[in-house]
Amino acid sequence: MTAVLETRGLVKQFGGFIATSDVSLSVAAGARHALIGPNGAGKTTLINLLTGFLEPNAGAVILKGEDVTHLAQHQRVKRGLVRTFQINRLFADMTVLESVTLSVCERLGYGWNWWRPLAAHGAAVDEAAELLGTLRLLDVAHEKTRNLAYGRQRMIEIALALAAKPQVLLLDEPAAGVPTGESRELFDTIARLPREVTILLIEHDMELVFRFAERITVLVGGALLTEDVPEVIAKDKRVKEVYLGEALHD
Amino acid sequence: MTIVFDGVAAGMLLFLISIGLSVTLGLMNFVNLAHGAFAMLGGYVCVLLLGQAGWPFLLAVPTAAAAAALAGVVLERTLYRRLYAASHLDQVLFSIGIVFMSISAAHYFFGARQQPIMLPDFLLGQFVLPGIDVGIYRLFLIVIGLGLAYGLHWMVRRTRFGAQLRAAVDNPRAARGLGIDVDRVFTLAFALGSGLAGLGGALGVEMLGLDPGFPVKYMVYFLIVVAVGGSGNIHGSLIASLMLGLFDVCGKYYLPQVGAFIIYAVMVVMLIFKPQGLFGRSAAK
Repeated sequence: MTAVLETRGLVKQFGGFIATSDVSLSVAAGARHALIGPNGAGKTTLINLLTGFLEPNAGAVILKGEDVTHLAQHQRVKRGLVRTFQINRLFADMTVLESVTLSVCERLGYGWNWWRPLAAHGAAVDEAAELLGTLRLLDVAHEKTRNLAYGRQRMIEIALALAAKPQVLLLDEPAAGVPTGESRELFDTIARLPREVTILLIEHDMELVFRFAERITVLVGGALLTEDVPEVIAKDKRVKEVYLGEALHD
Repeated sequence: MTIVFDGVAAGMLLFLISIGLSVTLGLMNFVNLAHGAFAMLGGYVCVLLLGQAGWPFLLAVPTAAAAAALAGVVLERTLYRRLYAASHLDQVLFSIGIVFMSISAAHYFFGARQQPIMLPDFLLGQFVLPGIDVGIYRLFLIVIGLGLAYGLHWMVRRTRFGAQLRAAVDNPRAARGLGIDVDRVFTLAFALGSGLAGLGGALGVEMLGLDPGFPVKYMVYFLIVVAVGGSGNIHGSLIASLMLGLFDVCGKYYLPQVGAFIIYAVMVVMLIFKPQGLFGRSAAK
């Protein structure tokens, strides 16, 4: 399958510390791909390099065949590379509908028409409402984000990302801190996303990872240890030693 | 009552100048002590356009605001941007440097003397209402100030730019993640703050005077407005400005021997009981 997102020999150093060491990764179009590794493996650094929050010391990030290594974050978003954050109370002062409408407006590129009221962008408001309906968030559309339960706040992060109509969606621990029942609902929602959306997931909950991912990349110490389908990863002794722990799959 | 009216007008003028600082400090978390330098620039541009170029007042004032906004864009792109992530102490030291440079530049180009300003006839004079002498220019300032307060509130709470600004302030990384060009939003917000300072500076020449010491002379007043009103809080800044104007004018009239001591005393008392300001720090309530 064609790769929609690739890294080639990606390196990131912070002083003498090498956070990402020669990582070459390929994510196929439509994939459900997970990135795992123990704490300090360099997962978040890699995501930051992919999204442009960090600039690599060497190597390249290729999105749909285009070298985006030196593009700013917002320019990568416009090209379809969108991420979620592990942030509570994202845009806490805005209502859910406002936040999602803003995301839709940015995608539609209303350009310099900045002074028009947000609510007057009828098509964007309708699209945002429809998306909230799909994610079962319509009942809180007019609530401020800060007033919502934690699990729903994480769902709003997903909604914000989906409003940008991503071609590649990077999910950074979407279920972190979410109660089990809500995290299942959240992952069911993610699993229902159309195949046009390629997903790269970082997640610590191995049960969720093995349930969701069709391919898994393991990072250790900033370097790529291995990559394969879940069944092979689950049996890989090196992975068990560094990350999973024998008990999990005994 | 006339004293109260004059106090309200003085407060409104203070609001016009200070609200820009409230925007940059409260919304962008940048301590820009050089805010008064942009007000001074607006004042000088207005005086030059009126006195030497013969422009009409109602054209000279917005042009002065635009000149200050333009200066804000240039300085933000070249200098200020580099200090967004710096500590507040670095920002203070940097902006104090800008203040002294602007004072020297004003001395060089305009000399130390006060600049005269000629108001148009329609803004001169006063009329009498029962118990109150209404200065027309002061009434003009009050109307402009109220209009601006409403306009700013509407802009921040309702427009797409306001939503972008609130998102960028709340979390710049996540805002970039939505595709917002946060750098451009901050540049525009800084230009807005500088332009408002320029507007206030141009409108304030008649009441506050204009000389190279302007940015230092009134710096404390602008800071009091932001501290008491709550940074980034438009309503709070308006209320704080009006209180400050009232206390200042009434204090100078009734207790001239203690002068400006009254406003500092009021500020200290308020901050003891409300350390976050009257209305707290906020993303533009």
